[in-house]
Amino acid sequence: MSVLREKAGRSAHVKPRASAAFYDLDGTLCDLNLVHSAVFILTNMGQWSERAAYALSFLARAPRLYLAERKDRQLLNEVLFESFQGVSADRLFSLGEEYCERVLIKHLYPQAVELIRSNRELGFEPVLVTGSPDFIVAPLARHLEIEHFAANHLAMARGRANGRMARPVMASDEKARWCTAFAAQRGISLTSCWGYADSYYDLSFLSALGHPVAVNPDPKLRAAALSRQWPIISFERPSTIERELADTLDGAIDSTGSTDDGAA
Amino acid sequence: MMARPEAKLKELKPADLRHDVGARRDLVVTVNRRSEKRLIAYGDEFLFEKLPVGTRVIYPPPPLDELPDPDQAIRYALLRPENADPLFAQLNPNMRVTIAIDDISLPLPQMRSPDLRERILNQVLQTLADYGVDDVHLIIATALHRRMTEAEIRRVVGERAYKQFWPDRLYNFDGENRSELTLLGKTDHGEEVWLSKRAAESDLLLYVNINLVPMDGGHKSVAVGLAPYQSLRHHHNPTILRDSHSYMDPKNSGLHRSANRMGRLVNQSLNVFTVETSVNTRMYGGMLDFLHKNEDTFSDWDRTRSGAFRWAMRNMSYELRRQTLHNYRSPYGLTGVWAGDTEAVHEKALARVFQQYSVPVKGQTDILIVGVPFICPYNVNSVMNPVLVQCTGMGYLFNMYRGKPLVRPGGTLIICHPLRDEFHPEHHPSYIEFFHRCLAETTDAMELEKNFEHEFARNPTYIHMYRYGHAYHGVHPFYMWYWGEPARQHLGRVIAAGCEQPEVAARLGWDSADTLDQAIAMATAELGHSASITYLHLPPLVIADVE
Repeated sequence: MSVLREKAGRSAHVKPRASAAFYDLDGTLCDLNLVHSAVFILTNMGQWSERAAYALSFLARAPRLYLAERKDRQLLNEVLFESFQGVSADRLFSLGEEYCERVLIKHLYPQAVELIRSNRELGFEPVLVTGSPDFIVAPLARHLEIEHFAANHLAMARGRANGRMARPVMASDEKARWCTAFAAQRGISLTSCWGYADSYYDLSFLSALGHPVAVNPDPKLRAAALSRQWPIISFERPSTIERELADTLDGAIDSTGSTDDGAA
Repeated sequence: MMARPEAKLKELKPADLRHDVGARRDLVVTVNRRSEKRLIAYGDEFLFEKLPVGTRVIYPPPPLDELPDPDQAIRYALLRPENADPLFAQLNPNMRVTIAIDDISLPLPQMRSPDLRERILNQVLQTLADYGVDDVHLIIATALHRRMTEAEIRRVVGERAYKQFWPDRLYNFDGENRSELTLLGKTDHGEEVWLSKRAAESDLLLYVNINLVPMDGGHKSVAVGLAPYQSLRHHHNPTILRDSHSYMDPKNSGLHRSANRMGRLVNQSLNVFTVETSVNTRMYGGMLDFLHKNEDTFSDWDRTRSGAFRWAMRNMSYELRRQTLHNYRSPYGLTGVWAGDTEAVHEKALARVFQQYSVPVKGQTDILIVGVPFICPYNVNSVMNPVLVQCTGMGYLFNMYRGKPLVRPGGTLIICHPLRDEFHPEHHPSYIEFFHRCLAETTDAMELEKNFEHEFARNPTYIHMYRYGHAYHGVHPFYMWYWGEPARQHLGRVIAAGCEQPEVAARLGWDSADTLDQAIAMATAELGHSASITYLHLPPLVIADVE
């Protein structure tokens, strides 16, 4: 099943949130996808011989992955997660930490990080809603100081992954259902919530929210966003924008206080 | 400093004005039974409608003669500025210079190349180069407007400036980049004056302007064009705008009084060298010049052209029609150029602009008819959404007066526009939420300001789209709504004529009618059959001096 993590003891220090902003991860906050994380983990497991075996088994699944991606995002997740069969939970979480630290954080769009920060300042509780596995999402959420996330979760047997995903799989409609339950649990109206995603498979997730935003959308989501008059934004990972953003953040820090916001 | 040979140039003036005030009375025509149908702007189409007998039609004055040699006139203005040293005399190689430029909102439609801004920049940049000034930045003074695209900037500033400065030293102003903004101080009314840091830290700030209407230019150029939300909120609000009678009469405009206070503070802190220009009303030329004419004086050739034009418009797809109209380049002619001290320059420019536009009109009217065209300052190469129709009809066209409004208090304004529920998601994202969410709750500008403005102004998604995309700032639809505030306070009723989606009109607080005839019938049913009717003929533009 999907997971809902909360950091015990943190909520007392955080001011009550008026609403929430839900973020998809892959392709939305970073320019990586599930396949990157799977390849990283599989090629960093065990001895060289084991790595080769995992890599070969992953390659063998490539045609199925391609077909699954074209057909259904949930199927893609399932095929991908089969690769982790037999890996211990400890090892997965340790590699997840490593992947997050060495790869994922470096591939976050600076503008996305800024957006999360700005939304948080305005009282929008940041929530990650992603099809990525929890052993990758948990360290990222810690890094971004995000208390809540919904991610996929590998089924375990005797401390090892059995290659199947726990139900329900966090993809497509399930994301919308999870957001609805999350909002109901906290007494938040979904109409006041913002949602950010990049894929047409996230259409139902975005449709469930009052303020859907297509981020670097694929062609089908772009078309859907245009016809529904949703905002479309682009995040980039370029040196120039990074530099500008760093300047902006410095400026914001300098001006915090008396001149932070003229309208305040 | 050695005087340059150009200093011997004579001052250039437009030819003697043939259209004095007396002759301009002929521009107000009363419709009789033999009168022709009148051309009325109707979004991306034009209507030809028979108006009721007795209707006054106000025509814009013919275009003033343009200056025969614009480049020479610009050179003269730079060498003989108003209340300031010539540009070259202010330069030294170690100085830092910033040139701010009016954005794509002026003029409308866009003018044919070379754009006046290009002509001015070419001469200014040459002078700067001659005197060894290297530290030069060009900033498009967008304020909270959308960023201009690279192609749009290239067209406006010309090849020379583009090739030399783009993109590192030629860029759009960013009102949300806190590190690039600075607080210059507060006016005696407590208005915070924020400005582009680059401009504020320059030894010389040049502003290159185009005055299309009297609302433009003056202190509004720098103090608004290079200012962020923190400054603009002091005059772009319902309270100040209600005290503006009208926007086209700067002396009686609360908006301009506030901008002037802020601009004077800017000029006390910085060395500002203003270059203002005025253009004539040659909005459409060549095959389309019949659009300016009194329909009663149409020749057979005019009728043929107007028939062919309407046929072509009718048979184009919506998108093609929109693109065709937005791609039209107007043959505006330069009628004046002045440089130097902001206020001295603006006074001269304003006089020339009024010379071009003003038409004396006797008395107010019960019913005013206006046609909202396909374009306004905020939808160049974009979509005219309902909020912008409101802004154009009630904000701009209602305010085309000096003295008293054309329509009497409690009168009816009939706005001709199809009024479709369509928006440009890339350019106007916050308009969509404003229209569907905020206006659904209230149309009261004070309530909108209190309940929603700050939320939209600080919305991170809209800020992102403004900074990195090509979106108007999140707060912009509020300003567009406030723009209509004087009209809302003054009018008794607004009717959208030819409205395709009555629910859109209802959302704006308007009544709707299928046709102009029906709209007039609705208005006269309320105001009486003897109600006076006036039609403000567009294009081009006209300002009524209402006696």
